[in-house]
Amino acid sequence: MGDEVRSNLKYTDSHEWLKIDDKIAKVGITDHAQSELTDIVFVELPQVGKEVKKGEELCVVESVKSVTEIYSPVSGKVANINQSLEDAPETINESPYDEGWLVEIEIIDESEFNTLLDAEAYKRMI
Amino acid sequence: MLIKSPIHSLHKKLGARFTEFAGFEMPIQYNSIKDEHLTVRKSVGLFDVSHMSNVWITGDDAEDLISLTTVEDASKIGDCMSQYTAVLREDGTVIDDTIFMHLGNKHMIIPNAGMAETVTKWLNKKAEEYKICATAENVSKDYVILAIQGPKSRDALQKLTDIDLKTVGFFGCQYMDIGGINCIVSHTGYTGELGFELQITPTNLAEEVFRKILDAGKEYGIKPIGLGARDTLRLEKSFILAGNEFKGGRTPLEAIMSWTINWDHNFIGKEAILKQKEKGDYERLTNLICIEKGIPRPNCEIKKEGKKVGIVTSGTLSPCLNVGIAMGYVHPDFRVKDSILEIIIRDKPVKAKVVKPPIVPKDWAQQN
Repeated sequence: MGDEVRSNLKYTDSHEWLKIDDKIAKVGITDHAQSELTDIVFVELPQVGKEVKKGEELCVVESVKSVTEIYSPVSGKVANINQSLEDAPETINESPYDEGWLVEIEIIDESEFNTLLDAEAYKRMI
Repeated sequence: MLIKSPIHSLHKKLGARFTEFAGFEMPIQYNSIKDEHLTVRKSVGLFDVSHMSNVWITGDDAEDLISLTTVEDASKIGDCMSQYTAVLREDGTVIDDTIFMHLGNKHMIIPNAGMAETVTKWLNKKAEEYKICATAENVSKDYVILAIQGPKSRDALQKLTDIDLKTVGFFGCQYMDIGGINCIVSHTGYTGELGFELQITPTNLAEEVFRKILDAGKEYGIKPIGLGARDTLRLEKSFILAGNEFKGGRTPLEAIMSWTINWDHNFIGKEAILKQKEKGDYERLTNLICIEKGIPRPNCEIKKEGKKVGIVTSGTLSPCLNVGIAMGYVHPDFRVKDSILEIIIRDKPVKAKVVKPPIVPKDWAQQN
């Protein structure tokens, strides 16, 4: 565990992943990030409908000893949140790319994708 | 430059992740803080706590110097006994909390990480000022300190010594061989569980002791434990962490340490805390359990109906209770058992209940 990088996703240098499906970007944190954070014990998710700018705080993920801000990798509106994490935050450790997703964002500016990393570039970074 | 434990490379081999703490680079965790925490509560774990300090107090009047500079009357602590106490300034605020051990004609005190020089200088200055024939010597670099803690700690350690560990009472301390290596062993700890602490010198013998304890504890599922779990274990038992709970200057009365004070002797700071005791309106360390989701952290404000009544000094998720827990200083009017206060976490109030220490009860592991 700790270094899986999926080729069908986009990444940021702050260890978020995005799965882009038309106008919706599903966002989570990478396997590498969850492994560095260790036991995730609390997640604070944004309100659905909240407008976020690229690079702004999107959620907060806490381990026993640390508080980590997760930044929005794109600008847009929060369309959906993974409510199940509120009762089972450890899902992020167990399944960072599937059940452990954080939010879905309605994308407003596709040109922001240019700054995202592909799997190869992210792999080189970690 | 961060100071590394003499057994740093062994920790690396065991898969430790490291953290900076008070000038030291020490293991924060080997695998999972939660798992390490529960291992200590339910069975046994082994800590390297070499970031803690060692200071010898020697001289004809060593006892007098300890009595003057701590809230304990050292003459009441017999040979082969140790005592938890605090070193105060004249204004009654705590410089450091510490354990001292009475070992024949010598006394050793164990100041906190990074406090060795401060405490040593303070003691020597006071010895000179009060013309006491005693000297404090910082020997922290010569010692590795290990802690073996948990309900199975005695069974594991017993395999390495001929001395019946049941004869070493709570806070007892003595020299003994552990796996053939002479150590100072005390029946003390910082986890609220049965446990022992070992002072090992010279430091190149420590790796062997560490490995032998891991071997001896194998049948109980012993694990090396990092500072992450050390912090959550102590907070669940409402034990003070000097760097958090004394920050900014706090007296032993504020820190609910009056049980450590021997009022029948003279010590530095006594006058000031007597005055404070008389006035009575000081903030007091208070234990809180969150009844809503959220994890309190140091410096979170504590409020009652929107009005600030205190501040969090330590907070975490409790691995045993799986809820947020905290200690903080609260105005006495609001420090009422079972009353509900709000801890402000990222601008949001999270309800928390005032509880008596320890936050996690003694028999938790048996019940769960």
